[in-house]
Amino acid sequence: MTKVRGTDEAADGPSPPRLRAPAHRVSPRAVAHWAIEALLLWGIGSGLAWGVAAWVRTSDWSGRPEWLVERIAWLPVVIGVAGVFMVAVAPVWRYRVHRWEVSSDVVYTRTGWFNREWLLVPVGRIQTVDTEQGWIERLLGLATIEINTASHTGSSEVAGLPVDVATGLAEVLARRAHDLRDDAT
Amino acid sequence: MSVAAPQRLHPLTFVVGAVRELLALLAAGATVLLVGGASMAFYFALAALAIGLLIHVASWATFTYTLFDDRIELRRALIGRSVKSIPRERIRGVDVSATLAHRLLGVAILHIDAGADGGEGTLNAVSRTEADRLRGLLLARTAPADGAGERDAGPPSRTLARMRRRWFLYAPLSGAYLLTPFALAGSLLGTLYNLGDDLGLITRDRLTRLGHDVVGLPPVVAAVLGVLLLVAMPVMSVVVFALFNWEFTVTARDGSIVAERGIVTRRSVSLERRRIRGVELTDNPFERAARVVRLGALVTGLGDAVHRGRLLPAAPRPVAARLAAEVLGPLPGPLLRHPPAARGRRLVRATAGPVVVGVFAATAGHAWVVALCAVLAVCAVPLGLDRYRQLGHAADAERFTLRAGSLRRRQVVIDHSAIVGWRLRQTLFQRRLDLATLDAGVGAGDGGYPATDLATADAVTFAASITPAWVTPFLETPTPTASPSHAVDTE
Repeated sequence: MTKVRGTDEAADGPSPPRLRAPAHRVSPRAVAHWAIEALLLWGIGSGLAWGVAAWVRTSDWSGRPEWLVERIAWLPVVIGVAGVFMVAVAPVWRYRVHRWEVSSDVVYTRTGWFNREWLLVPVGRIQTVDTEQGWIERLLGLATIEINTASHTGSSEVAGLPVDVATGLAEVLARRAHDLRDDAT
Repeated sequence: MSVAAPQRLHPLTFVVGAVRELLALLAAGATVLLVGGASMAFYFALAALAIGLLIHVASWATFTYTLFDDRIELRRALIGRSVKSIPRERIRGVDVSATLAHRLLGVAILHIDAGADGGEGTLNAVSRTEADRLRGLLLARTAPADGAGERDAGPPSRTLARMRRRWFLYAPLSGAYLLTPFALAGSLLGTLYNLGDDLGLITRDRLTRLGHDVVGLPPVVAAVLGVLLLVAMPVMSVVVFALFNWEFTVTARDGSIVAERGIVTRRSVSLERRRIRGVELTDNPFERAARVVRLGALVTGLGDAVHRGRLLPAAPRPVAARLAAEVLGPLPGPLLRHPPAARGRRLVRATAGPVVVGVFAATAGHAWVVALCAVLAVCAVPLGLDRYRQLGHAADAERFTLRAGSLRRRQVVIDHSAIVGWRLRQTLFQRRLDLATLDAGVGAGDGGYPATDLATADAVTFAASITPAWVTPFLETPTPTASPSHAVDTE
């Protein structure tokens, strides 16, 4: 039953109930990371689409529905356009949204691009803090911090941090989580 | 407290353990005897029976459990040696159950659940009094020094709720038990077929004749059979429901909530009170019409929570609300409605599936698919409207509540202190409508419960009112613009 009450008279007046953006941006290299990932994924995807379209048009299998044969040429075009968007636009958009902040007792993050998520995880409820690096992240000197609580919904992830920031943050969070830990799982 | 000596399970354990093998072997032996006389096979069956009994006796003799101040140890030394040690502070629940055989012999199975990192242990079987004693000791783990005296006085147990017999009639409403006649018939036919096949009674010839007989049934008989089945569905559902939930009682005992139920297999589940984070009330449209609701507890670290967290399988709403108040505390209310913009989103969500399929079908020129999708979309409109009507949220000083869903409506009530994080989600469409979905992360039950489509400002206010210290530092400070008055109508 630990109820953390901070500033007593915080609710002075009708404060505008909007969340402000967290203080820090992630590393600009994160844009490159997301772009490379998207390039790989959508490159393979459009290649496959191209192959499927070519196969449907040229094969003489009689089970092909007529309406499908007429329109199949659009498939690689649609996938290609979406891919270009995902490689060129989405990473920048994502970079503008992704932000993080660690106050004395709460980890506050904002993630997403098309859809957004604001996440507030109190340090006292953190169970584990992991640092992870995929191979693209290793090339770019980036790292991802995973903050886990007893609930998946209450678990957070900050991607695209410079390695030294990430390791330092993980260490601080783990130590503070240990100090503040209360039983409420 | 003195360290207890290692103890054996109840001496009758090997009997209940062997009952199943005994029955199977007896049946097999009888069949063999009938078919082939006292042949070699019959002696093999006898030998197998003897060996089976011997193994059960040996495993009973080599299994001991010891209750220490800080842990309970289960030792097994039949072939390999194994010691399982469960720390008492990790124990989250102790269930006592008994199959028919156990009950006839006056013994019970004790199941110890210690969450994900503590493992679990089973004592099969101990006497009923020993089961009760162990359960009391294992659950009342708070420092032996201060509690020792009280515990000897016997735990004061208080009945919180008891299921009335006539509530069994609610069984068909839930739908879950309606298919029991089919399940029963299926398993019966399967058993008969296997048995017949084993004995060589089933030949291709007889099967074809049976098939012809069935096809050749006069329509009147077929119709009568169909009607019988229709009648059997609700009746059987009531019967099965009653078997499972006979004498369903919820008692408060020693810091735990104990739910007991069942006639053939009597099962009792203890939920530690300080691990109960909230409750959920579930119903469907039929149950709603009959004002019936199911009550369950949201418990931290409880495996198989759907069955074990059940507090009332079907009960009139006031009874369920009263029990919820006893277990957790009074339910916050009245529920606040979500903004009208949410109605459009529910409608779009409900009809989107058929509409999209319909559009594709139209381009492909399948007229009847388009018609089907149109019908489905029209049917989905009332569903979407109801899904909006059921959305609601409320909070008081101790707890908050969220409600959503139509075909399966669920209202959860959760302690403020159970929250481990807030997640606010907003899709592009929600952003245009100034809506957001607030997920409360909770370390129990599903792990998170959404308040779908709140006004963005209300979502933030809601979170801030429940955990001010976590949210207020991140609110936008200045901009004293014309205050966007709270857009929720509070009827």
